[in-house]
Amino acid sequence: MEVIETIEILLVEDNPLDAELTMRGLKSGQVAGKVTWLKDGQQALDYLFRAGAHTGRPGGEPRLILLDLKMPRVDGIEVLRAIKADESTRRIPVVIMTSSQEESDVVKSYDLGVNSYLVKPIAFDALTEVARQAGVYWLGMNRSAPR
Amino acid sequence: MLLSGKRSIRQKLLLVVTATTLAALFTSGIAMLYYDFRTSQQAWIRDLTTQADILGRASAPALSFDDPKTARDSLQVLQARPEITAAAIYTAKGRLFASYAAPGLADARLPRLPENDGYEIDRRELQVFKRIIDEREILGTVYLRASHHLLDRTRDYCVILGMVTIIGLLMALALSYRLNAGVAGPIVAMSGVARRVMESRDFSLRVTKTTEDEIGTLADAFNGMLSEIGRRAEILEESNRKLGAEIAERRGAEEALRLSERRNRSLVDASSAVVWSTDGRGRFVEEVPSWSDYTGQARDQYQGLGWRRAFAPEDQSTVEAVWTRALAHPGAFGLELRLWHETTQRHRHVSVRGVPLVGADGTAGEWIGTITDIDDQRRAEQELRELNTELESRVASRTAELEAANKELESFSYSVSHDLRSPLRAVAGFARLLWEDHAAQLDEEAQRKLGFVQSEAQRMGVLIDDLLAFSRLGRQAMQLGPLDMQEMARRVYDRLLAQHAGPPVQFNLGTLPSVQGDRVLMEQVWANFLSNAIKFSAKREHPVIEVGAVSDENEHIYFVRDNGAGFDPRYTAKLFGVFQRLHDAEDFAGTGVGLALVGRIVNRHGGRVWAEGKLDHGATFYFTLPKESADGSD
Repeated sequence: MEVIETIEILLVEDNPLDAELTMRGLKSGQVAGKVTWLKDGQQALDYLFRAGAHTGRPGGEPRLILLDLKMPRVDGIEVLRAIKADESTRRIPVVIMTSSQEESDVVKSYDLGVNSYLVKPIAFDALTEVARQAGVYWLGMNRSAPR
Repeated sequence: MLLSGKRSIRQKLLLVVTATTLAALFTSGIAMLYYDFRTSQQAWIRDLTTQADILGRASAPALSFDDPKTARDSLQVLQARPEITAAAIYTAKGRLFASYAAPGLADARLPRLPENDGYEIDRRELQVFKRIIDEREILGTVYLRASHHLLDRTRDYCVILGMVTIIGLLMALALSYRLNAGVAGPIVAMSGVARRVMESRDFSLRVTKTTEDEIGTLADAFNGMLSEIGRRAEILEESNRKLGAEIAERRGAEEALRLSERRNRSLVDASSAVVWSTDGRGRFVEEVPSWSDYTGQARDQYQGLGWRRAFAPEDQSTVEAVWTRALAHPGAFGLELRLWHETTQRHRHVSVRGVPLVGADGTAGEWIGTITDIDDQRRAEQELRELNTELESRVASRTAELEAANKELESFSYSVSHDLRSPLRAVAGFARLLWEDHAAQLDEEAQRKLGFVQSEAQRMGVLIDDLLAFSRLGRQAMQLGPLDMQEMARRVYDRLLAQHAGPPVQFNLGTLPSVQGDRVLMEQVWANFLSNAIKFSAKREHPVIEVGAVSDENEHIYFVRDNGAGFDPRYTAKLFGVFQRLHDAEDFAGTGVGLALVGRIVNRHGGRVWAEGKLDHGATFYFTLPKESADGSD
C-alpha cells in the first residue's frame, strides 16, 4: 500500500498554461498517481535533493519526471544533468516535454541519458495523448528500477 | 752592258763565243806582229851592221894608204843591195873619204860628220855608223843608210791578221750556232714553259727532258719545283679559301659581337638597373655612372670602398658579412639591401647580384654585378600583405558576424519554436478545454467560431513547424551515402498512400538510378513531390502518378508527373518560393513551404528543380542530381 502512495509524477514546467493542459491530459488519460508541479528547475532540484524550501521533504522519489527545457534560472538540461549525475536519482525515468525541436537540445538530452524526448504538439488532443502515453508507458509498463 | 739581262741566252752565248774568239785572235795577232816586227828590225840592224863592218875591213887598207878610189870601188859593191840607198866612209879625222848613192837617187843626203857607233831608225830608214878599227887604231867610220820597208810588212801582216780574224769569227759563230741547239735549246724550252706557267698559272705544265747533263738535271729540278709549286699553290689556294671563309665568319662574329655589345649597352642604358664592377677586393675602380645616377654619390665618394656608405645603416653589417664571405670564397651571390636613392631621397629596396671573374689561380680578379630596384615590388608585396591581412581580418570579422548572425538566427528559431508555439498551444488547448468543459453554455454559432480558433491555431502550428524545418535545413550538415532512389520512392509513396483517403491511384514507377545523397533530406523531397501529386490529383476520377528518370552524362533527371489540378504556367517562377501557394487553402491544404524546402534540398545536393504544368491538365516536377556527389555546401 505504501508503494501505491509513492507513485508520483513530477512535472517541471514554467508555463502554467502548459502545466494545466499537461495535467489535464494526464488526468484525462487516467494515469494513476499524484502529480506534483514545480515551476522551474531550481525548485525541481530543491525538491529532488531536499534542499531549500523542500528541506526535509517527506516521501520517496518520484516515479516519473516530465521536464520542460526552457525555464528561467535553472533550465531543463541542468536539471537533467543533476538527476543523471546523482546516484539516488539517476534511475528515475525522465521525459523531456518541450516546444524545442532544436537538434542540439535533442542530442544533448540523449547524451545526458534522457529516457524520452517529446515535442509538445499544438493540438490539445495530441498533447493529452503524449502526456498520457508517457505516463502509462513509464509508470505502467516499465518496472521501476530497484532502489 | 753587252751581257745585260735583256738579251736572250742564245744571244749571250753568241756574244761570249764571238768576244772570246775575237780576243784570242786579236791578242795572238798583236803578239805575232810585235814579235815579227822586232825580229825583222833586229835582222836588219844586224845585217846593216855586218855590211858596214865588212865595208870597213875592206876599206881599211885604202884608208891607210889614202886611196879614195879603191874605197869608192869597194862601195860600188853595194849596188847588189838595192835597199841600201846611201853609204859613205869618213876618215878618222871626220873627213868624207868616199861616198855611194843608189842608182836613181839624186841626193845621197850624207851626214856632214860621222857619229859614234850605233844605229838610228825612223819610219822609213835605218842609218848605221860603224868605226873602222885596225890594230886598235881608229882608221875611220862607215855610214850606211837603207830603207827597211818595215811599215809595209806590218801593214800586210795586219791585213792577213784581219782576214784570219774574220774567218775565225765566222767559224766560231757557225760552230756556236750549232752548239746552241744543244746547250741553249733546253734552257730556252724551259724558259718558255716557265713563261707559260707564269702567264696561265698552270702548274701542270712540264719541261721535256732531252739531255742527261746539268740542263737535264735542271729540267728535272724545274719539273720537281713546278709540281712542288703546284702542290703549294693548291695548298695555298685551299688555305686561302679557308682563310676567306674564316675571315667572313670572323667578320660575322665581330658584327654579331658589335651588335650584342651595342644591345647590351643600350640595355644597360635603358634599364634602371645599376651595373657595377669592382676589382678583386671589392673596390670600385672604374667610373660607374649608373651608380652615381642612383645614389647621387660622386666618383670620389664611391671610389674604393666608399660605395658601402650608400647602403642603409642597418644593412651595413650584412654588406660587410656578405662581402667578407664572398671575397673568402669567390662565388655568385645575391641579396636584398636598402640603397640610398637620390631622386626619391630615401633608402629603397634593391636586389644586389654579383659574380666573380675567377682567374686561373682560383681568386677573383674582378667582380661584376647588377643592382635592381625592387622597391615598388616590395612595396606592392607589402601592400598586398597588408591588404591580405586586412582582408583576412575582414573575412574573420565577417565570419564572426555571420556566425553571430547564425547564432542569432538559431536562437531566433529557438524562440519562435518555443515562445511562439507555447501561446499557440495555449490558445488551441484552452479553446479545446472551453469546448469540452463549457459546450453546454455555448450556442451553435459560438461553437462554430470556437472551431475556427482551434483549426487556425493548429494550421499556424504547422506553418511554424515547416518554417523551422526550412530554416534548420540550411544549418544541418548533410550525411551523404548511396541512395536507392527507386526503393525510396516506392517506400515513401506507400507510406503516404496509407494516410490518404481518396480514389485509388495508378502509380507507375519507372527505373530510377541510384545516387549519393542525404537519406533523410531525400526522403523529404520524395515525400513532398509525391504528396503533392497525390493531393492535387485526388479530385480526379482516375488519378495517375508517374515517376521516372532520364540520365545524361553529368546528371540524372527525375520527374514526378500527375494528371491533377496542374497550375497556371504564368506562376511557374513562384512555385518554389516560400509561402507561395497557387491554390486556395480550401481546395488544397498546405503551407506553401514544401516546394521551397524541396528546392533547397536539391540545390544543396548540387541539382536543380523546375516544373511544367497547365491548369487542370496536371503537372510535372523535375529535379536533377549530379552523378558525382556534391560536397553538400549550400
